Amino acid sequence: MPRSAWKGPFFVALPGLRQALTGNIPVRTNARACTIIPSFVGLKFQIHNGKDYTPLTVTDEMVGHKLGEFAPTRKRFSYRQTKNK
Amino acid sequence: MLHLLGVNLPDQKLVQYALPLFYGIGQKTALKVLASISIHKSCKIVDLSESQINQLSALLSDMKIESDLRKQIRANIMHHRAIGSYVGRRHAMGMPVRGQNTRNNAKTARKLNGRWLKAEKREYSSSTRSIIPSVDSPFESFFNRKWF
Repeated sequence: MPRSAWKGPFFVALPGLRQALTGNIPVRTNARACTIIPSFVGLKFQIHNGKDYTPLTVTDEMVGHKLGEFAPTRKRFSYRQTKNK
Repeated sequence: MLHLLGVNLPDQKLVQYALPLFYGIGQKTALKVLASISIHKSCKIVDLSESQINQLSALLSDMKIESDLRKQIRANIMHHRAIGSYVGRRHAMGMPVRGQNTRNNAKTARKLNGRWLKAEKREYSSSTRSIIPSVDSPFESFFNRKWF
């Protein structure tokens, strides 16, 4: 079920957004649940994935999605012969 | 056999059981269709009159079924794939998209999820590449949700 329209999109006030708009500095954030609103288009983000920050440049197709959708949180399984590596 | 919009409907079937042969029509929709053009539930395909067939085909051609629906589903998935979201990645890997367990099985996802992307590739190799335009741009659809 989608979010009620009367609430508006969920977004967090991101510190450093103004600097990012003027300069070309990526916004480093942990707010994965923040909706990408149209004013974010063209900005660079660094989104926390639980361990480090994944870079993302927002394009206009991404509007309406959440930031966290673009920062995968799980590593691909790769088989190792020994445990102490 | 009645040939309607590229689908063969066998004569001796009840109309309500023949309509689900269309991709995108199930039992419920079939009954709704019947009700809207007032065909009785126990009517068979052979018993349909000429005017009823015309009504039926007019109604069905307005609905989003068969290739239109397939195209839309593929476009939705390709959208996720193109922007590289988690959903798109999972589709490409052929794994469950909505957080289901993958310790065992995940059979439905393995069966279905890569399918749309593969079909896309196959089509491109044979014909010239054509990008399906989405109905409205992401901006418009975002604003159309009336939250400002």
